[in-house]
Amino acid sequence: MHILATEGLTKRFPTVTALDRLTVTVGAGVTGLVGANGAGKSTLIKILLGLLPATAGTARVLDLDVATKGDEIRRHVGYMPEHECLPPDVSATELVVHLAQMSGLPRTAARERAADVLRHVGLAEERYRAIGGYSTGMKQRVKLAQALVHDPKLILLDEPTNGLDPHGRDDMLALIKRIGTEFGISVLVTSHLLGELERICDHVIVIDAGRLLRSSAIAEFTQATQTVTVEVEEGTQPLAERLTQEGQSVTQHGRLLLVKVSGPETFDAIRDAAVDLDLCLIRLEQGRHRIEDVFREEAANV
Amino acid sequence: MSEIYDIGYRHYDGPRLGRGYSTRALTLHSLRGIFGLGRTARSKIMPFALFVIMLLPAVVSIAMMALIKQRGMPYSSFAVTMQAVVAIFLASQSPTVVAPDLRFRVLPLYLSRPISIMEYVAAKVVAMTVALFLLVAVPLTLIYAGELLIDMDGPTVPPQTKEYLAAMAVALLLALLLAAFGLAISSLTPRRGLGVASVIALYLLSSASVPVIYATLASADNEEGAAWAWLLNPFWLVDAVQVWLFNTPAAVPEGGYPPGPAPAIITVVLIAVGLGALALRYRKAAAR
Repeated sequence: MHILATEGLTKRFPTVTALDRLTVTVGAGVTGLVGANGAGKSTLIKILLGLLPATAGTARVLDLDVATKGDEIRRHVGYMPEHECLPPDVSATELVVHLAQMSGLPRTAARERAADVLRHVGLAEERYRAIGGYSTGMKQRVKLAQALVHDPKLILLDEPTNGLDPHGRDDMLALIKRIGTEFGISVLVTSHLLGELERICDHVIVIDAGRLLRSSAIAEFTQATQTVTVEVEEGTQPLAERLTQEGQSVTQHGRLLLVKVSGPETFDAIRDAAVDLDLCLIRLEQGRHRIEDVFREEAANV
Repeated sequence: MSEIYDIGYRHYDGPRLGRGYSTRALTLHSLRGIFGLGRTARSKIMPFALFVIMLLPAVVSIAMMALIKQRGMPYSSFAVTMQAVVAIFLASQSPTVVAPDLRFRVLPLYLSRPISIMEYVAAKVVAMTVALFLLVAVPLTLIYAGELLIDMDGPTVPPQTKEYLAAMAVALLLALLLAAFGLAISSLTPRRGLGVASVIALYLLSSASVPVIYATLASADNEEGAAWAWLLNPFWLVDAVQVWLFNTPAAVPEGGYPPGPAPAIITVVLIAVGLGALALRYRKAAAR
């Protein structure tokens, strides 16, 4: 069963077409939704939550029609908005308990769940303090906790790493990965940074100007290319010469050698060369396409 | 020996209650917010100080009944006499009900849950109405309890139960009228300070203009027209409804109210206008 599916989904505002005949399906696991600002990501999320009527087309979330079953969908879906959305004068505990009740959890269950999810997102004693004094990273964690508190089947995360420093970004991405795997909750996460999604997603959907650019499994994006990176401690130069002599095409990038793979014999040649020259081999790594490269190519073709 | 286990993520398979439950929870949450419960100590000062001020006349009334065997304030005019305190409570607390959710953009967190925007608005109106009702009804009830205990007129004269119940019913009407308007104005000004100022300004305008208009019309020998001037102030407007419904004495310094159901009709129309404005405001906020 698909977690969500859209069919010819179109949303026109008086001056702009936000979604243009978008047809996508999303399965279980972590799915990235990529697009530049204004590509229609937030509009799509609002339609999926049943908060905005579509101009044309249909969308189903958890096999429920967004046009008629909005409240049932919202009961089983969590949403983390992109913007700041936390009142400063209440504590994280109080807010998350309250929002759990808003999702229909009885008071005692709401308290237990709130304590659980706040622990999972990594908020300790500070959860009893007013949110106004929190750092950006802590606020992002509270926003994530409120989306998880009612144990949804699917969570929609709108730019969860916005405004975080590199360390906070890594923590947030690791947490999202855990939600998708360990917690068993499907995730739809938007970002305009492809490199981030590459690390956590099983599947990536690329939209631009409301239209589907590409939807495929992450493996297809990052398929192995025909190069191998070689790093040796010393003697980069002799190795490059030796490999060139043997008919391999070699390009030097500082201390690294990029060798084009013509077949299994390329790896043998590198190994033999390193042994013969008595070199200390530090790294032998298959080069990968980055999603960003793919996206650049796709965008250039449009 | 005890060990701490990381039991990992646990799924929730307990009950998920309906939208009625969520709406009630939101009402209670908002009501607690109005009185600063679960908030900082600073946010409790204003509502509780005003509440205590409202109780003072009740205490004085009871003391008067006990010591000098005289009634203090009649039930029917309690709200009108204390109107400045009620108005300050309305101005200072109604922004706390609606402004933060708009200003800090908390609304999407509610909208992404089962309740609809109109249930959200209804919960806020009910919370503010209940708060204002408590503000007037608790002192009234205290006076009534005092009257029953002291039994000033002896066992032969029944207590003023009818007057008390009439005042309670009218307090509810007043609370609804004030809540609808206070919240509508506060929701249009997401900054709290601005909301406080707008509500108090509107109240001052409505109460300060009354004597001026009344005096002008009365000096022109237009007693009938002058009577309508009292209806410009919400407290006298609702008192006029009380006079019409329960035949209580009018709580005005001079003259009287226009007779008949006109004040009641105006009150109902004003409540509808206030609620309509709120609904429109939030329909727009939800669409963003």
